[in-house]
Amino acid sequence: MAAKMSVAARKQMPSALTFDLLAKCSQTLLTVQVTKARASTLHLPHGSVPLPIFMPVATQASLKGLTPEQLAQIGCKLCLNNTYHLGLKPGQAVLEQVGGAHRLQGWDKNILTDSGGFQMVSLLKLANVTEEGVRFLSPHDGTPMLLTPEHSISLQNSIGSDIIMQLDDVIVTTSPDRERMKQAMERSIRWLDRCIDAHKYPERQNLFCIIQGGLDLDLRRKCSVEMAARDTPGIAIGGLSGGEAKDEFCKVSVIPTSMVDTCTGLLPENKPRYIMGVGYPEDIVVSVALGADMFDCVWPTRTARFGNAITPSGTVNLRHATYADDFSPIVDGCTCICCRPIQQGGLGITRAYIYHLAAKETVGAHLLTMHNVHYLLSLMDSIRAAILEDRYPAFVRDFFNRLYGSASKIPIWVVNALNGVGIDLLAE
Amino acid sequence: MRNTMFNVLHPAPAVFAPRVGMFVLPGRKPVHTPHYLSLTSRGAVPHLTQDVMRDYTSIDSLYIALEDFIEKAPDDVPPLYKMQAEAHESTLRKFTCLPEDILLVMGPRRVPPVFTPMPNTGTAISILTSVGFRKLEAEDYIEAVRKVRPDIVVGLADLVVGLQSGIKRREKMVDRTHAYTRDATKQLYGDVGEPESESSAVYFAPVLPLENTQQMLYLDDLGDELREHISGLAVYEASSLAIVPDKIGCLPRLTLSGPKTPHEILREISLGADLITIPFVGMASDGGIALDFIFAPPLEDGSSASKPLGIDMWSPIYAADLSPLVQGCECYTCTKHHRAYIQHLLSAKEMLAWTLLQIHNHHTIDCFFAAVRDSIEAGTFTEGFLAFEQTYQPSLPQQTGQGPRRRGYHAQASGPGEPKLNSSSYDQLDDAAEKYAEAQSFVPTPDVSAEELQISGFAVKDT
Ligand SMILES: [Zn+2]
Ligand SMILES: [Zn+2]
Repeated sequence: MAAKMSVAARKQMPSALTFDLLAKCSQTLLTVQVTKARASTLHLPHGSVPLPIFMPVATQASLKGLTPEQLAQIGCKLCLNNTYHLGLKPGQAVLEQVGGAHRLQGWDKNILTDSGGFQMVSLLKLANVTEEGVRFLSPHDGTPMLLTPEHSISLQNSIGSDIIMQLDDVIVTTSPDRERMKQAMERSIRWLDRCIDAHKYPERQNLFCIIQGGLDLDLRRKCSVEMAARDTPGIAIGGLSGGEAKDEFCKVSVIPTSMVDTCTGLLPENKPRYIMGVGYPEDIVVSVALGADMFDCVWPTRTARFGNAITPSGTVNLRHATYADDFSPIVDGCTCICCRPIQQGGLGITRAYIYHLAAKETVGAHLLTMHNVHYLLSLMDSIRAAILEDRYPAFVRDFFNRLYGSASKIPIWVVNALNGVGIDLLAE
Repeated sequence: MRNTMFNVLHPAPAVFAPRVGMFVLPGRKPVHTPHYLSLTSRGAVPHLTQDVMRDYTSIDSLYIALEDFIEKAPDDVPPLYKMQAEAHESTLRKFTCLPEDILLVMGPRRVPPVFTPMPNTGTAISILTSVGFRKLEAEDYIEAVRKVRPDIVVGLADLVVGLQSGIKRREKMVDRTHAYTRDATKQLYGDVGEPESESSAVYFAPVLPLENTQQMLYLDDLGDELREHISGLAVYEASSLAIVPDKIGCLPRLTLSGPKTPHEILREISLGADLITIPFVGMASDGGIALDFIFAPPLEDGSSASKPLGIDMWSPIYAADLSPLVQGCECYTCTKHHRAYIQHLLSAKEMLAWTLLQIHNHHTIDCFFAAVRDSIEAGTFTEGFLAFEQTYQPSLPQQTGQGPRRRGYHAQASGPGEPKLNSSSYDQLDDAAEKYAEAQSFVPTPDVSAEELQISGFAVKDT
């Protein structure tokens, strides 16, 4: 089995990035343990990006109606494109002719692509994973098709993204079938080797491995060790966003924090760590404390289309009639272009105006998308500043108190996860 | 009434010929005419956020329809009316978050208006809001003008949308419009006592789409008793431009006729139109069509009116085409992006396609009007018009792809005789198609909640 191949026999992998670790949480007089939060700078082919980072998802080479300049203006330096979508439209041949996704969408900053496998498995119900790859029926005409690790890499090579992901064998994290989970983990290691072999441009595209193993800490441990040995430029922790049915309205978030903790504990310190498909602001704040650096989620953009504005105290649905004559900004004091008053170079957008346009004019969705993405990006800025100034635990406490109103309302999974890294949210 | 200045620069004001002028309202950018007003939907130029409008377009004057803001009035006070503003501010501007220097023209109805099944009355017109048909009382319209303070208000007219009207009906149209205008100007500027309680909005009086003889009395009155309260005219068909009496010939003329081609715009200009509303700009953007015409095209030998007025960007032949929409175009879309991207965005149903096309199409119209003004000044307009007719096809290219969802209030003017754009079966199909598209857009993404799937029509929750 490939996973047992000696490291020396493997293809040497160049890296197209450098990772500068700038700061970590340090021990204080008050805490015995320290959080694993880190601030760093990742230098990628299309510019440097500050970590921890949130990456907005521009699924089909466009972020919900925003121009690349608007996206850059919000502060985005690294966004996500989905390989599955770009593989369908415009397709590999066009991507090759156009010269990749940067050229296609007029974006001169960084792009990360997923492998495309996740979307097939989780959403095309007829997908079936074999050793060769993911078998599925074409969503257009039902033709049986196969996505192999080699094909996924080839597509991502054509896309030209700065960070590319290995094809992994994704199954629901909470799957009770340990044998299947073990098989998926081991197969993901074998597929990583195939991806490394197939990767044509390692000097300009960074391949990240994806650690699998579900909630089984032993499997995760084993996978972390095996994959770290492959020495890819970056490391992702997979299988987190697929299975959990996150409830939009109650926001019951369930990041398997012990699993994240275990993985980050085993990973080399000098590489970026990406948690795929996470998340909500509270997921991010917790995961950063557990040592993660990179996040992506469609939620801020998708929820904007339903009229939801993200605020420090949770989401607000601006389609609700109570906002029809609320002439305050989306979020008071928000520094995004929409919320800033006209006198300060902003647009002076009000809740009433969003209500007036919601679900009727695309402009309403565009404005809310800008606000929501800005919210996430500026949250990351504050997180990073707090780590650099060595006050992350205080930041976390303040963040959760504001989000839930009082310490007693903070979900138990958050309290427990943070307890494990020396932050006691319930302490006075 | 606020000081307006409209100077016809060339030729003499009363001549019914193409003319250039300058329209100046204190606080707004001066508008060089002939020019166009960008049409809005619910106060927004479709697909253009305020920053995109500011950074990538030269849009300086907008037409806004009151019917887009007064959903359940008078039963519920519309949010627009509840907005507070300083005495010098316009609540309409504040509510729609539009910049200070943009000229805001408000009319009662969208352009083009949707046919309403209920007729107008002596005191009210029929309108369509996003929640259905209802009446707008003439008095309430005047009150709205006072409250929301547009720069220019288009006076109420008793129009018959989409139908031929009989002689009796036509008489009524004139009488009612005459009465609306008399009452409105009196209440806005007449016996208001204190000069500061005068409305800051200037009044554009309607000229009905009827013959001169049928509205003679009304037109005379506009030039006579009502003259001091009127700052412009609003016409509903190009031929009305030719019946404007001399006395009011120097007033700026706004057309709300909905020209379908640039040829029709040129015809209106040739009759002395100053401000023109052009629904086909936005319709082309929605339809995936990049406008491609200039004024005046170089006249080549053997021209056969065969050049298309636009490019259907849905066509797969542009899938890998890295050239700009139009070679040499200086708009943001053409300098920053290429045909391949627009084609991809359209086919992927990404909203940015419409934004980028709106930017290009508005720029095309900007250049067109600038060149028209130059040609009038240079005395070459008529030649240019001729060259235009000999060069370009007489209609815009057919749209082949699907545009954004059209809602009831987006529908085009239509009478009961012709199929309404949103006939119920079309609407259902459209609805289903949109739900399908939404569902599709959810399929390949990870963590959509059951609620969202349900909202999208993709699935229902199994309880
Ligand atoms: Zn904001
Ligand atoms: Zn252009």
